[in-house]
Amino acid sequence: MKRKTLDSAPWIWRTISTVSILATLLLLFGFGYAIKDVIYPEGDSALGTGQSTKTPADEASKPAAPVDDGKIRIAVIGDSLARGTGDDEGLGFVRRAGNILKEQGHDVQVLNNLGVNGLRTDALLSKLDEQGVRYVLQQSNFILLSIGANDLFQGGQVLQGEDPPSAEKLAAVLPETSKRLQEILKKVKEINPEAQIAYIGLYNPFGDVKELEVPGNAVVAAWNDAALQILNQEDKMTLVPTFDLFENHLGEYLSSDHFHPNGAGYEEIAVRIAQEYQAETTAEGSTN
Amino acid sequence: MSNIMPLIRNETIKMVKKKRLYIIFIVLAVLVPMFTYAQMKSAENNRDKFGGDWRLELQQAITDNQNSLGSDRVPEEYKKYRTVYIQQMQYYLENDVNPKEPNGVTFTREFMNNAVGLFIPLLIMAIASDLVSGERTTGTIKMLLTRPVKRWKVLLSKLVTLIMFVSIIVVSAYIICYVISGAVFGYKGFGMPIFTGFKVVGTDVDLSAVHAVDQWLYLLMQAGLIWFVSVIVAILAFMVSVLVRSTAASIVIMMAALIAGTILTNMAASWQSAKYLFMVNLELPDYLSGGLPPIEGMNLGFSLIVLSVWGIASLIVSFLVFTKRDILN
Repeated sequence: MKRKTLDSAPWIWRTISTVSILATLLLLFGFGYAIKDVIYPEGDSALGTGQSTKTPADEASKPAAPVDDGKIRIAVIGDSLARGTGDDEGLGFVRRAGNILKEQGHDVQVLNNLGVNGLRTDALLSKLDEQGVRYVLQQSNFILLSIGANDLFQGGQVLQGEDPPSAEKLAAVLPETSKRLQEILKKVKEINPEAQIAYIGLYNPFGDVKELEVPGNAVVAAWNDAALQILNQEDKMTLVPTFDLFENHLGEYLSSDHFHPNGAGYEEIAVRIAQEYQAETTAEGSTN
Repeated sequence: MSNIMPLIRNETIKMVKKKRLYIIFIVLAVLVPMFTYAQMKSAENNRDKFGGDWRLELQQAITDNQNSLGSDRVPEEYKKYRTVYIQQMQYYLENDVNPKEPNGVTFTREFMNNAVGLFIPLLIMAIASDLVSGERTTGTIKMLLTRPVKRWKVLLSKLVTLIMFVSIIVVSAYIICYVISGAVFGYKGFGMPIFTGFKVVGTDVDLSAVHAVDQWLYLLMQAGLIWFVSVIVAILAFMVSVLVRSTAASIVIMMAALIAGTILTNMAASWQSAKYLFMVNLELPDYLSGGLPPIEGMNLGFSLIVLSVWGIASLIVSFLVFTKRDILN
């Protein structure tokens, strides 16, 4: 066969063939290694298997908690109320409270909103063991907490006729749930002893449903009392009451699902949160 | 075999003389900066929101995904994906590793992960689709086949050349991507630990085999898998090029198959037998990163076998047709 004489041909051929053979060998090695690694993986015993096994060394590698530079770092954790479900503007009480505090001249950063729809006390307890959640709480100095409504009212399903909460039923879940709430508050305090913690109290979303008004009110009041018991023992922990806010204004402050607050409702809660922060800081006599 | 080397050499020279090869590099050099810029913008955006703290950002992503799990509007399929994603991200948080640390190597890894399903195969097609049909369009096939060389050797020389260039294209894509994105994100990140070995079982993730590999090794493994996918796509395009007389038609056929693949990958979960199609099996790097396979029951071994069967079948068809059929007119 007669070769075409191209002046650059030998050079091109030599380069291309060398490069491609090297590339192919490299890629073949990677291919083989990948198959080995996927099919016969060597589990790393040194790594935790999803269990948080914290060692002091781990702590050391973390950045230290933020300095006290007068900046309010808000984090919120809990259920759909923490999330802001039902707020037509999607702000929830955390962003609204942040905005109010900003207007008052504070430097505010809303770090994270860790609210999860439908969360109950037991799920929140295990959530507080998660590395990422602990980290968020450690980074903040104003922690908002909203939990309990799903334990008591099953997310408003009662209205759709699924086992209406009789007074006995509500009273039955109350002791263990409020005990869990106390555990939660203790745990949050453990994770971040420095931060101010505000627990958002419950309101009775069924205050205008005849057969639910009285038992609902009783349970919510009992619940808030149980929360107060522990909150009063600790400093830097406050209850943000919402019961009275909503009591005679359900039509005004509830969203269309008749369970979550609407924008106006969240705004009212936010105003109280901002007041709590004020009250707390002035009580401590710190200057911001 | 002695007389096949000159043939390969000849084909290589032809390939280099073709302008199409450079189009591939130009496309990469134009598109990668676009993606880099987009990535940079989103990184800036998040920096403003979370004060540059990746742990806060990651935890927020986890929470947002947890919220969508409870929503009835989210299809079951997505919930699976998100469940897996949540567990993986929590694993990264537990071990204090930032999975999205902005650097050139990480960008390259993510870019190539997204490119393997469609982008890289398209580049490969650009050179594979006219290898034979192009010769027929221009009539040069006669020059090739009227020589006293066995037809299968002619075809084999084309195939070997093609695979040589596939290797070059895959490696070049990595290099171009790393060089360009590194200019923005920095050239570090080879030693960063990447977790691999997540086994997806149903909607749960089995973490027993998870282990950390350095990112350079991860890239190498990923490149090997992408190379295999590219070779199979090249062989398929090569077969189409033998079967179809016009280059345009052969490109359209391959493109349609690939695009159908991306669509099927997104919606085939309920159509079980789709897993035997080659284009649903292109996402091999997902088996490294622990992504949920498009159809339940797929794993690396399965996908490799499916792709190999397609590749071998295409080779047999190509050689049979090319040596038996009258293609001179």
